Amino acid sequence: MPFINFATREINCKIVYYGPGLSGKTTNIKWIYDHIKPENKGEMITLATETERTLFFDFVPIEVSNVKGFKVRFHLYTTPGQIIYQASRKLILKGVDGVVFVADSQEERHDANLDTLDDMLENLREYDIDIEDLPLVFQYNKRDLPNVLPVEVLRRDLNRWNSPDFEAVATKGIGVLETFKEITRQVLKKIKR
Amino acid sequence: MLSLRPEEDEKLRKLLTELNRESKSKIVLLIDKSGQLISRSESPAFSSDDITFASLTAGNVAASEALSKLLGDKNLNHMFTETEDEGIYMILIDDKYILVSIFDKNASNLGIVRVKIKKYYGKLVELLRQIEERIESESSVTEQIDVEDIDLDTLFE
Ligand SMILES: Nc1nc2c(ncn2[C@@H]2O[C@H](COP(=O)(O)OP(=O)(O)OP(=O)(O)O)[C@@H](O)[C@H]2O)c(=O)[nH]1
Ligand SMILES: [Mg+2]
Repeated sequence: MPFINFATREINCKIVYYGPGLSGKTTNIKWIYDHIKPENKGEMITLATETERTLFFDFVPIEVSNVKGFKVRFHLYTTPGQIIYQASRKLILKGVDGVVFVADSQEERHDANLDTLDDMLENLREYDIDIEDLPLVFQYNKRDLPNVLPVEVLRRDLNRWNSPDFEAVATKGIGVLETFKEITRQVLKKIKR
Repeated sequence: MLSLRPEEDEKLRKLLTELNRESKSKIVLLIDKSGQLISRSESPAFSSDDITFASLTAGNVAASEALSKLLGDKNLNHMFTETEDEGIYMILIDDKYILVSIFDKNASNLGIVRVKIKKYYGKLVELLRQIEERIESESSVTEQIDVEDIDLDTLFE
């Protein structure tokens, strides 16, 4: 749920990166954080295990001022992809304004993509969020690896809503910005509506 | 969609600032359960990133709530965390918002903070309900917002 403050002229929105374990969610928002100008970002938080697996969430606050006087804040969150953290994933979806589903393109991770998508749909249902009405972007990540599925297969199996989708190599920043821009565009468009 | 009008923002800030002063806290924050910072007391000395603080607080409360549910669907009302020098007291309001006081343990204590929160709690709930009613009665707030010409490219270097 966006929060608009007419006194400070700020709009706040929450964007969640969802996807199976190791698909590259943290890599996406870390890349964004590292490439954003210092004056446009707050402090990044990562709640991770010793082995850099997300334990609860990562958080990046981003600020954009526009000429007409409103400042927009995007709060980016990642969920923990590992199966055992199902309860935490649900907590992070609370009040979400837009979702980026980061899929792992590798063939052997496809079942994990599908399971995680089911898990997301279930959690959204429990919050009474209609996915048809939720800004949503798919990202097929790790396109640099040898054993990846064709995009058509990933699209057919995962992107059942014909949402905008992008191929990515998050470690190199390929597709990261495109994905981010598309989700923010959709979120802002929905506020406007 | 949650929104604040300038006069509501001012009322909230005033209330939180009074509570902050009386409870001798460093800062008092009002957060919604999804992690958005809604308002805070005027506390120039507080220099941490309040936005990030709000997000972590909401995560912390959400996890504790889930824990208490696991223990048999009991509701979480409030929680307390402390560091060597500081106390962080969090209390749920209407099951939608979280009120947080951060205080220096040399300047205040949990007892004072709780008594002062109790004093302001009713006023705060009333104000939040008024805001919710106003939001519900409005059809759309967003025509006053121009988000079209936001240029995300300027964000990156
Ligand atoms: N080859 C390759 N490796 C990637 C790519 N994106 C991420 N990785 C690597 O995959 C591993 C996992 O990335 P993370 O971003 O931590 O994955 P995550 O989705 O946050 O994982 P969880 O926190 O466990 O859910 C890291 O070693 C990354 O460097 C990519 O596009 N190509
Ligand atoms: Mg991660």
